[in-house]
Amino acid sequence: MEGVIPKTLNEALSLMASKNYIPVAGGTDLMVRYKRWKNLTPSFPAAPLFIANLPELRGIYREDDELIIKAATPLSDIEGHSDIPVVLKEAVRLMASPGIRNIGTIGGNVGNASPAGDTLPPLYVLDANVVLLSEKGKRTLRIYEFIKGPGKNDRREDEIIYEIRFKVPEYTHYFYRKVGTRKANALSKLSFAGIAKVENGIIEDFRISLGAVAPFPVRVIEIERKVVGKKTEEIDGQFIDSIKKDYEPYIRPIDDQRSTAYYRKKTSLRLIESFLRAL
Amino acid sequence: MRDISKPVRRFDASEKIAGVARFVDDHYEEGMLYGKIVRSERVRAKIKAIKIPELPEGYHVISAKDIPGKNRIKMIFDDWPFLAEDVVNYFGEPILLVVGPEREKVYEISESIEIEYEDIPAILSVEEALLNKKPPIYGENNLFADYFFEKGDVENAFSEADEVIEEEFKTGFQEHIYLEPQGMIAKYNNGRIEVFGSMQCPFYVKNALIEEFDTKPDKIRVVQTTTGGGFGGKEEYPSQIAGIAALGAYKTGKTVKLVYDRAEDVEFTTKRHPSHIRIKGAVKNGKVIGIEVEIILNAGSYAGLSSVVLQRGMFAATGAYSIPNVRVIGKAVATNIVPMGAFRGFGAPQSIFAIETFMNHVAKRLGRDPVEFKLSHRYRKGDTTATGGLLRNEVRLPEIVNRVLSMSDYYSKKKEKKEGKKLYGIGFSMFLHGCGFTGNGEEILKSIARLKKRKDNKVEILISNVDMGQGPQTTLRKVVAEVLGIPYEDVIYENPDTDRVPDSGPTVASRTAMIVGGLLYRAAKELKEKWVDGEEIVVEKQYRHPEYIKWDQEKFKGDAYPEYSWGANVIEVEVDPITYEIDVKKAYAVFDLGTPLDRKIIEGQIHGGMLQGIGYATLEVMEQKDGRFMQRTITDYIVPTALDAPLFETDLVSQPYEHGPFGAKCAGELTFVGAAPAVCAAVEDALQIDLYEIPIRPEKLLTIMEKKNESEV
Amino acid sequence: MKVRFKLNGEEVEVEANPASRLLDVLREKFGLIGVKEGCGEGECGACAVLLDGRVVHSCLVPFANVMGKEIITIEGLRKTEEYRIIEESLLDAGSVQCGFCTPGFVISIYALLKNNPNPEDKEIREAISGNLCRCTGYQMIIDGVKLAAKRGEKLWKA
Repeated sequence: MEGVIPKTLNEALSLMASKNYIPVAGGTDLMVRYKRWKNLTPSFPAAPLFIANLPELRGIYREDDELIIKAATPLSDIEGHSDIPVVLKEAVRLMASPGIRNIGTIGGNVGNASPAGDTLPPLYVLDANVVLLSEKGKRTLRIYEFIKGPGKNDRREDEIIYEIRFKVPEYTHYFYRKVGTRKANALSKLSFAGIAKVENGIIEDFRISLGAVAPFPVRVIEIERKVVGKKTEEIDGQFIDSIKKDYEPYIRPIDDQRSTAYYRKKTSLRLIESFLRAL
Repeated sequence: MRDISKPVRRFDASEKIAGVARFVDDHYEEGMLYGKIVRSERVRAKIKAIKIPELPEGYHVISAKDIPGKNRIKMIFDDWPFLAEDVVNYFGEPILLVVGPEREKVYEISESIEIEYEDIPAILSVEEALLNKKPPIYGENNLFADYFFEKGDVENAFSEADEVIEEEFKTGFQEHIYLEPQGMIAKYNNGRIEVFGSMQCPFYVKNALIEEFDTKPDKIRVVQTTTGGGFGGKEEYPSQIAGIAALGAYKTGKTVKLVYDRAEDVEFTTKRHPSHIRIKGAVKNGKVIGIEVEIILNAGSYAGLSSVVLQRGMFAATGAYSIPNVRVIGKAVATNIVPMGAFRGFGAPQSIFAIETFMNHVAKRLGRDPVEFKLSHRYRKGDTTATGGLLRNEVRLPEIVNRVLSMSDYYSKKKEKKEGKKLYGIGFSMFLHGCGFTGNGEEILKSIARLKKRKDNKVEILISNVDMGQGPQTTLRKVVAEVLGIPYEDVIYENPDTDRVPDSGPTVASRTAMIVGGLLYRAAKELKEKWVDGEEIVVEKQYRHPEYIKWDQEKFKGDAYPEYSWGANVIEVEVDPITYEIDVKKAYAVFDLGTPLDRKIIEGQIHGGMLQGIGYATLEVMEQKDGRFMQRTITDYIVPTALDAPLFETDLVSQPYEHGPFGAKCAGELTFVGAAPAVCAAVEDALQIDLYEIPIRPEKLLTIMEKKNESEV
Repeated sequence: MKVRFKLNGEEVEVEANPASRLLDVLREKFGLIGVKEGCGEGECGACAVLLDGRVVHSCLVPFANVMGKEIITIEGLRKTEEYRIIEESLLDAGSVQCGFCTPGFVISIYALLKNNPNPEDKEIREAISGNLCRCTGYQMIIDGVKLAAKRGEKLWKA
């Protein structure tokens, strides 16, 4: 199935409405996923629609109090942009390698819905929205509504991922940790993103998300609520243990070629503890 | 006279930087066919039937039946077929070759071939192989090799001992990840087979093809193409690819290109042998007076070179230590996985990891400083090795060790452990490596090196050894030019072509500089005497073991190697206290590898060898599940990046070997063997634990630390 | 599909499947053998080229995405003064062993020095972290980068 290169966003949308296309941005994931053998053209299960270079899909903007990252914006642009919250910037900086960040996009990383997708935990803590676009119009979903499971998302066949948007929160503490197989060009064994706002010794905001330890990123608002409102001196060993216990059922990792379920779970809990202790 | 050690620019580097050097995949010719191997999808099975679809014009499917000669790759044992006949012994074993002009179609055909199997109970682990309850893969007991040797009286040592300490060690698989995947191009012209490709040993390939085609030596030509790394991975394995590609050319009369996809290369080519090593030591008055070492190697499904890998491992069993009473037992065990093969160090890294870690543990138990404890056991000139060989040359370990200690500031760092967010540790290793072929290998080979002085007074090196990155294009030119007193540029050294070069042996065992370089050195001396301007002169030298070397290959007694190189490493690590990730910060090394033939090339060998050793000890994880590797791509089997590599600091002590060119000894493998035990010692130091296994995974450290913390509460 | 783009300074147009890998187009349609395939998964960097001045792994780039863009491979870089400085520096620092990875490294080094004429050790390591080398342990490549930074001082800042 020969692919198509639309010249405009409208053309892309009308093509998407006409039949089943696979939108392809940078290609860093899909070109490998559909690779067959050396020197052969990757075999996409439906015709690829190459949207990486549509100008409407690139760029980082501010709109009122929201930050908008267009879906086909390369990761390296995000890494280098001053408005991007550091918890996301750090995650992007540690992704893959420069050559991949130069073409890999945020929309692609989100759309892949990989449990190990590195932009997901920060986007979860930023309460990001995913905006989908079709000829019928825009549809805005909370990121956790969009991600449905490993490799599954809520994009409809005629839609493309248009942009990621979120309010930039105020925070006094952030903690990002990628535990990978090595220091660069590594897939995550697990990852941790956390932000918190502490004022006058009181925790006013507290959000954490973990990647690669469940079918989709873990973020549990109910547990976070137990931390919000606490005085920092109340974060003692006993309290931390109870929070860890609360998280335990949500952290359901697997054994695979990169790590073990046991390590992923224990290390996740240790990172939660470490973030709480730092408040 | 020029200083032979003074670095010069590599002769082959400019064209590599520019991207004009042609590696095998860069060769193309009009009308050539592409090959793809159809592989077993079972771990162990009988092949019941093969269903091949109707083939379009110009496409062919080739099987073992097409082999005119012997369907066995010539190695030490004759058990490894080019293409499987009626049985497959590992997942991915080659069964058929599909060739044709369009890759897309070749792929399609290979995907549509149906093979019907009948499973045979597979032997998935060494334990299972030794139990011998399933039909054996090899012989009656699954042992490709079962060896034993002794020195002194071990039993007496154990009965006299104050304490007997027994420990077990494990090492994992390691994949070479040379940057250039394996590949061959074969041609068939007028009854002659020609093979071009990425390889370390042109004559191994040639000899394998002579038997495969049951033909005369002059009907086979093998030419090395510029080779992008080997590390042992292109020692014996290329014979199989060459044999398959050549069969394609022979059947079709056309040029056949067979280059591996990286995923094929990771999953289906040879690996370093995983090992289980048990060491039992008799300690008396603070010294190890006796030792029993049992080495069990997982050899995979065919014998390959495993028996010799095991021998080298066994001869290295006591490391750099003089222990009067020694018993070494070794087994190379058959299991249903890819055959294991040559990899830098060739059995020694497993043994050196085990003995070094054992010595550390014993020192700790005795309350002794590991460095001082090890030095007190060190080999000295005049000592006999584990096999009873005589150390005739000065062993400069004290100097080597002192230098590496002061360079790294070892003792003060060890004392004042840095207090930081990370756990700091420092580790030490000392070791040796036997130079050249093990045992009587060099004697059997009787390598020949040739120099040809042309009428234009340029001198050509004619040998079968290859540059795969380790530098002989430069070092051997220097040796010849230096002896002859001519400019380096006047020495020619082309990639070997078996039609033009004598058999100077394979490019393995760190033998090229010392053994082949030694032959060239002597040939150049003779050429210098015979030199007449404007005339063509050919000088040839054949290897002879120095007469004082005595070796009994049956009993494993005597000088297992003509000479040894020595080294000591110090490695600093930081371990993350939350995730237990290991960060290797600095690596220090001092080596005695004789006279360096080029200091920069040697330094490159040191950094590269040590980083491979660091990877071996830490992040290079390859595991088996249900007869397949879990890590099947370069995304999952990972090697260190620039961010994972430590800073290196190196120095040399040079005790020359009289028969090496300008006193050179062996280098390439020596640089690998000490890193893993030094990393292990550093992690032990950081976490105050004992370790017994590499790779040291954070997953393992977590469970060890949980146990440690429980017991401390 | 026909795609026009700029290759090593020249406007070119070539017929290829838009989903084919840029790597294959460069090697097979243009014979640019300095672009190496080491893995085909974006892990090793041997196939690195510049796309509008940025390093990319050409095995991951669908050919469609180069439409209207500028690609520079090692063959194009080779003609520049910057290349000559990098080459000389790698030669003198002993950075090359088997050399299969080297053209890819040169691409990354060039892009680094163009953006950051005076990189620190850590920045160099970051910049080459997508290029695997199994021979050198990287340090002598890093030495080569430092040498090139120094020797080409004015050039990089230009």
